Amino acid sequence: MYVTAWLPIAALLTQVLTRGGTIRWSEAAAIVVPMCLLYSFICQSSWYLCRAVPLRVAPPGERFESETVRFIGSHATAAVVSAGVWVAVGWVWAWILGSTFGITGIESRYVAQIPMLFISGVVLFVIAVAFNYLLITFQLSQQAESKALELQVLAREAELKALRAQIDPHFLFNSLNSISALVMADPAGARRMCVLLANFLRGSLRLGSKQRIPLVEEMRLAECYLDIERVRLGARLKIQRDIDPDCEACLVPPLIMQPLVENAITHGVAPTIDGGVVSLQAERNGAGVRIIIENPVEDEATVKDGAGVGLKNVKMRLANLYDGDARIDVNRNAGRFRVELQLPCDRT
Amino acid sequence: MSGTNASPTGRSHQVMRVAIVDDEELARKLLREYLADLEDVEIVAECANGFEAVKAVTELKPDLLLLDIQMPRLDGFEVLELVGREVSVIFVTAFDKYALRAFEVHAVDYLLKPFTTDRLRKALSRARGRLDSRQPLPITELAAAARVPGAHLERVAIRDGANVHVIPVSKIDYVEAQDDYVCFRSEGKGLLKQQTLGEVESVLDPAQFVRVHRSYILNIDRLAKLELYAKDSHAAILRDGTRLPVSRSGYARLSAVLK
Repeated sequence: MYVTAWLPIAALLTQVLTRGGTIRWSEAAAIVVPMCLLYSFICQSSWYLCRAVPLRVAPPGERFESETVRFIGSHATAAVVSAGVWVAVGWVWAWILGSTFGITGIESRYVAQIPMLFISGVVLFVIAVAFNYLLITFQLSQQAESKALELQVLAREAELKALRAQIDPHFLFNSLNSISALVMADPAGARRMCVLLANFLRGSLRLGSKQRIPLVEEMRLAECYLDIERVRLGARLKIQRDIDPDCEACLVPPLIMQPLVENAITHGVAPTIDGGVVSLQAERNGAGVRIIIENPVEDEATVKDGAGVGLKNVKMRLANLYDGDARIDVNRNAGRFRVELQLPCDRT
Repeated sequence: MSGTNASPTGRSHQVMRVAIVDDEELARKLLREYLADLEDVEIVAECANGFEAVKAVTELKPDLLLLDIQMPRLDGFEVLELVGREVSVIFVTAFDKYALRAFEVHAVDYLLKPFTTDRLRKALSRARGRLDSRQPLPITELAAAARVPGAHLERVAIRDGANVHVIPVSKIDYVEAQDDYVCFRSEGKGLLKQQTLGEVESVLDPAQFVRVHRSYILNIDRLAKLELYAKDSHAAILRDGTRLPVSRSGYARLSAVLK
């Protein structure tokens, strides 16, 4: 690819050599083509020089002139040396052509063209240097761009991590109040509640730091949360679960169900006087897994802002983690609010 | 142990009649247990929701409500708006940043769950002081301050004796000022509430409810057409045929919303 870019240059040089009238087409080509091949490599090596002498604005405190002199000096020296070596090698090649292949007088005719070839060599070298700088700048900007993108993704991940690790303070204080109420009348119940709460907190902290967890662990955490809420809400909360054992090993993002289960309580069961059933379902669906969370909803109740925030977070996380391979469907029908998650079932 | 015998007026031996309002059985149990240790307190009612609380206030006339905030259908502030003029209130809540801010702004006492017996005693003695000095709670201001900023009213709670009607705002046709009351018109019925039309206007969604006249707020979904019946004055004809007067400034507001 790079070498083919030198073909037009070789053609041009051949043209230039024949212009003097003393060298024939075939002779010129015989000299120029190998020389161009050689020079293409010499010019390519200027890449390292360009990397070593980066294009930059002189930092404050450093004199602009000294920087410029250093820059021009190093490249000019390199150009002169390269062109000189190149022309000399060409001379040797012309001599070989003359003595071995019997092209008479080729060497002396080549010598006549040396100044012109030397200038061409310098110009070509400078062009190569300019080209290299362009390439370096382009690469740097691409790197900067991908770096910025990477940082953006990291920032979003951090934000989501913070969101999913959040524990609703209302939930925590209410649970503590329940324990406080149980202490005298039902000490065993109070202890059970302490254990449930500890399990839930520990689970949230532990799972929240992982990338993916088996669905069975996610379900266990959701059930732990629901058990705590059942102590608080009493008979108003009924729980129904229907988990296909086949999907327990599917890997899911940790705490992906948590905001939805919290919504089911805070916006579903808690605002109703008689309560209702929260149901958790999970089943295999082709190559993926389907998780359904259903709760009762008051007819008059509009979806409150809080519920919207939880749903939005789940949507954002899914979009971020699965890039369109996961879906969330929300619908509300006949007094039931239903959220359906469709995730790919990865297992490792 | 500072509370029990330290009432500022020394009338601590008069028994205070208390109603507990909380939707959680355990939370009520805890209050019952705490209050059982206090001699000068009598529990006259236990209510599992706001409706029962309003009924209890009407029928039993307690001195004090221990009132939870987050409750189904009718929350603590709605209960306060309905009965706060007849009874002293101590709020009990787990966590609600807007409510807490409202209490602090208006220096109203509240209990944060979970709390100790001592803390409850202190709150009770303060309530007793308030009761003796007949210092009313700033009900409207408190309810307004506790509302989530930027959110509009979703339902209106109206008391009718011991009963409470809860009307979703989408079912309101229009609101009419009547002396010291406002009348909410919905589905052919009118329900009176002690409030000013200005207060009602400030909590309804302005994109949905327009003050078309000094005495009327109109739900724009009910508007069928506007008629010009004199120079500078219009009448709004509603879908059910009702005619409401529209003032000049009301007409300007209506045009701005309908545009």
